[in-house]
Amino acid sequence: MKEMMYYNINDGYPESIVRGYRRSLLTSSQYGTLTQSETLDDIKLQLSATDYGNFLQNEPPPLTTGVIADRLTERLVSEFNYLRRNSVDPLSKFLEYVTYQYFIDNVILLISGTLHERDPADLLHKAHPLGVFESMPALSVASNVQELYNIVLVETPLADYFRGCLTGHDLDEMNIEVIRNTLHKAYLEDFYDFCVNDLGGTTGVVMKELLEFEADRRIINITINSFGTELSKEDRLRLYPRCGKLSRESPAKLSAMNDIDAVKAVCDNYGEYQHLFRDMNRSERTLEDRFFEQEVRLNLLSFHQQFHYGIYYSWLKLKEQEIRNIVWISECIQQQQKERISDFVPTL
Amino acid sequence: MEEEEYGTEYEGGEGGEQYTSMQGDGAPASAQGGSLFRSEEMALCQLFLQSEAAYGCVSELGELGLVQFRDLNPETNAFQRKFVNEVRRCDEMERKLRFLEKEIKKDGIPMMETGEPPEAPQPREMIDLEATFEKLENELREVNQNAEALKKNFLELTELKHILRKTQQFFDEQESLEQGGPGGQHQQLIQDEGGAGGGLQLGFVAGVILRERLPAFEKMLWRACRGNVFLRVAEIEDPLEDPHTGDEVLKSVFVIFFQGEQLKSRVKKICEGFRATLYPCPDQATDRREMAVGVMQRLEDLNTVLGQTNDHRHRVLAAAAKNIKVWFIKVRKIKAIYHTLNFFNLDTSQKCLIAECWIPRLDMEAIQLALRRGTESSGSTIAPILNEMQTTESPPTFFRTNKFTNAFQALINAYGVASYREMNPAVYTIITFPFLFAVMFGDAGHGTIAFLFAFWCIVKEKQLIARNSDNEIWNYFFSGRYLIALMGIFSIYTGLIYNDVFSKSLNLFGSSWQVNMDLKDIIREKAVMLDPALRQGHNVSGYHGTPYPFGVDPVWQISINKIVFLNSFKMKISVILGVIHMLFGIFISFLNNKYFQKSANIICEFIPQILFLSFMFGYMALLMFHKWTAFVAGGFDKDPLTTERCAPSILITFINMVLMNDNEKDSPECEEYMYAGQWGIQRLLLIIAVSCIPWMLFAKPFVQKREAASKPDQPFDFSEVMILQGIHTIEYALGTISHTASYLRLWALSLAHAQLSEVLWVMVLRKGLQMSHWAGGIFLFVIFAAWASLTVGILCLMEGLSAFLHTLRLHWVEFQSKFYSGQGYLFQPFSFDTILKQAENSD
Repeated sequence: MKEMMYYNINDGYPESIVRGYRRSLLTSSQYGTLTQSETLDDIKLQLSATDYGNFLQNEPPPLTTGVIADRLTERLVSEFNYLRRNSVDPLSKFLEYVTYQYFIDNVILLISGTLHERDPADLLHKAHPLGVFESMPALSVASNVQELYNIVLVETPLADYFRGCLTGHDLDEMNIEVIRNTLHKAYLEDFYDFCVNDLGGTTGVVMKELLEFEADRRIINITINSFGTELSKEDRLRLYPRCGKLSRESPAKLSAMNDIDAVKAVCDNYGEYQHLFRDMNRSERTLEDRFFEQEVRLNLLSFHQQFHYGIYYSWLKLKEQEIRNIVWISECIQQQQKERISDFVPTL
Repeated sequence: MEEEEYGTEYEGGEGGEQYTSMQGDGAPASAQGGSLFRSEEMALCQLFLQSEAAYGCVSELGELGLVQFRDLNPETNAFQRKFVNEVRRCDEMERKLRFLEKEIKKDGIPMMETGEPPEAPQPREMIDLEATFEKLENELREVNQNAEALKKNFLELTELKHILRKTQQFFDEQESLEQGGPGGQHQQLIQDEGGAGGGLQLGFVAGVILRERLPAFEKMLWRACRGNVFLRVAEIEDPLEDPHTGDEVLKSVFVIFFQGEQLKSRVKKICEGFRATLYPCPDQATDRREMAVGVMQRLEDLNTVLGQTNDHRHRVLAAAAKNIKVWFIKVRKIKAIYHTLNFFNLDTSQKCLIAECWIPRLDMEAIQLALRRGTESSGSTIAPILNEMQTTESPPTFFRTNKFTNAFQALINAYGVASYREMNPAVYTIITFPFLFAVMFGDAGHGTIAFLFAFWCIVKEKQLIARNSDNEIWNYFFSGRYLIALMGIFSIYTGLIYNDVFSKSLNLFGSSWQVNMDLKDIIREKAVMLDPALRQGHNVSGYHGTPYPFGVDPVWQISINKIVFLNSFKMKISVILGVIHMLFGIFISFLNNKYFQKSANIICEFIPQILFLSFMFGYMALLMFHKWTAFVAGGFDKDPLTTERCAPSILITFINMVLMNDNEKDSPECEEYMYAGQWGIQRLLLIIAVSCIPWMLFAKPFVQKREAASKPDQPFDFSEVMILQGIHTIEYALGTISHTASYLRLWALSLAHAQLSEVLWVMVLRKGLQMSHWAGGIFLFVIFAAWASLTVGILCLMEGLSAFLHTLRLHWVEFQSKFYSGQGYLFQPFSFDTILKQAENSD
């Protein structure tokens, strides 16, 4: 009731905008025509009939997938930034939280890039624009975890998340992976806490669902990726976010997941995850795709509710999926792999 | 303006009406004077074009702008159509032109306006155009690349110059320290730390960084080197040009002093991360001086080279600027033609393109001519074939408007586009709209202001159009200039009737009332009552017998019962105008039904409707006229029955009629009724009017049911028809009452307007007139400004807008609901003019 009365005072305008953005997601018939394209120019022509309009019209030929992806991301970023500029607390805080995941990805990208001695300018170009922060360029200075924290991250919002990784010493491949997962775990838990406890209400209900899924996806992915690595059971348990549905299982059960069948056995207790492993061998859909499908389903659901912030998160996720789809289709066309062109995850 | 008469020949239509067409800029070139009363007759045609001639023909039709093509392949994807490659080539050309245009704008070179827009070029010219653009683009890109490289070089040298200049003072300080100059405190510190007494050699790097990055940079340096570096910064005052984007950016020079190799590599990494450019800076002052001289030398050389490059660029762009508008038009025309050709079907032999299009019947000849021209120009020998097709589809609605009728048609279209061939209310709106507006806005002064503004717009029309403003509010006013002019003229007229000029009256013909009293009496009395009954003789105060020849007598302006008098007049006038307006609307529905041969509608709807309205409110309006003519102050020939005392209230009479009550005498010497037999006539009218309601409700559904019975194959749902008719009947019956009442807004707004302007006069301008001496002049000057701006701002603009909206409502709701269905869709012909205009506006 309170939500209904007060929601539109501050959040009515951004909500209308984001719902408008959601209406402009590509429809299945638009995907249908996209997949019939023969060249990237056809894609450009098709996209000009959608909400993207003439966003590629000033690109000199030849068109490449990279250019398309860049423009799509630019578009996403400008839309997201428009929402941010038109929001006030607590929505602005919520939107800031949403960007932290890109923060984390950028930090990891730069550290591992430096480790492999890649060109820093190139790395900065590759960083996601939503996760750019001021001291990011100096990431390459750090040579160990302690330095990374003290020099670069101490003033960023990630500092709190990073405290959990301070025990690690060197920045090697394995450690970076651990750092990434620790950061994401801490972030997810913090975001979960913010949505469910600080914001509460419908936002809490909707975001709980979405973030629990995100956490469970992490748990399953970490588990599967840890098979055959040096990662010990205890360490693995420590990387699991504590806000997922699976995290409520007993630690013994979780650490017992030693092969894919064990994971499947645990997931079978959850109706929404059962289908993830069904017909794994016969079907061509990878686990990742299945997760994406599930994510799209969940995100579409959040638009069915009114007066909450989950729609911003969901729109961003759906839009990202759409960009992945368009890039996938473009790649298939560019690489003449038309038989796989339909293997994307439609967003509607 | 050219006038021509055109008698309409609809079967049984309004045969006698004559139509005057005014051909203006807005009309298509070949307009032959269609009628505005109904939308034009359209024909769906099939067009067979030989493949080679198709381009030329479509191009001619585009110039003509009278043909609306239908997409015959709506299922086909954009990129699977036949001419997609040509469209794409045009897109590419447009992109190049946009690039050129951007560069031209960047250099501020004026682009030549085109006089006559060029014709669409032949398809073979496309290759030439492409080659030209390609060459230009490459040349420009090359020049830009060179310029960018040069500018980058130039920027580096400038930065180096600044570094050398700014760092000089840092080094001077350092040297003064080393030489043990004054400033003992610093010296003390160094000695304490190094212990080697001035022998401490610090390494340093110098560079330039974007000024906004400086704070983060400094913080990062401090944190990464744990405070063991010393940063000196100096701002470069002049903004530098970024060679890549061409933007002006602010930068700062910095020097970092540090000790040891480890710190050096760390500092360098940070600099790299923050995109600071580092420059070699010699240790020794003499080397620095030498380097500075060298840099200055090279800068000068570069300047000359840069100047030459810019000249070259300017020459290229100036040449392009002369043609770019023409090129844009040509490319857009080609693109529009191929886009249209993509709508066409190929016939089985692949030699012929088939198009379907809507064509105004009247322009058949012009279109044939255009097709012939197109065929000739493309050198084809086979003439195109234009066949009319039979269709059940509703054709588009097409009105040939000109700059005068355009605004009125737009008002109607904003409500809904007329169904095909139904009566177009825009024609009547040309008069009724300004008139009803003026009834509310009645003030000759304000009307003059509105008219003068519109008149100025009309006189300066050409220049104002050429200015091509994108200010929306201005464009609203400007496109309605003819409407505003008429509204102004009508307001002057009603203002003179009300005798209101800026809330003051004009005594043009001399009042018919006179006051014959002593000055003493006048001063003593607050108000004097003038007897309206006719009095003969010179020394009497009162009415003189001959009414004021035009409008309201100016004496009312100073009377205290002015509002009471005017209210009675304006209220009655509003209802009378409303009844006439609505009766006219119903009459138009008769014309519509007659034209569409729906005789059932005439008998079952039109007749009961017009009876209902005219027997109720039409009769009331008649009573008003009767009251005006049958009663007079003092009575005609002293007849007591015709005195003002016996004049009954029309409202009460009407209420009694509807409630079937008997009238009462106003005073003992009067009669109950205004004329003999009034009781009986009123009963009769009421009975007929009430019986109209079941007539409207039941007649049509039963007629339809009987018709449906003769055609058993078609589905017919009686209850649905009944419900629909019930809604219509309720709407009409209630609407008659509420719509009549709605016309009272004419009175209400007129009253509000008059009162507001009077308040403005009394409260503002009169204050300025009350002060004497020269100070009064200055005061009046200021007050007048306030009064004038309030008059324009509130009375002309705000009140005008409000009266406008009320007029619009009276037309859309009260008038058009009687006959207008507005279910049509607009005719959108393929026209280069529209396409080019749209393209220009979207830029």
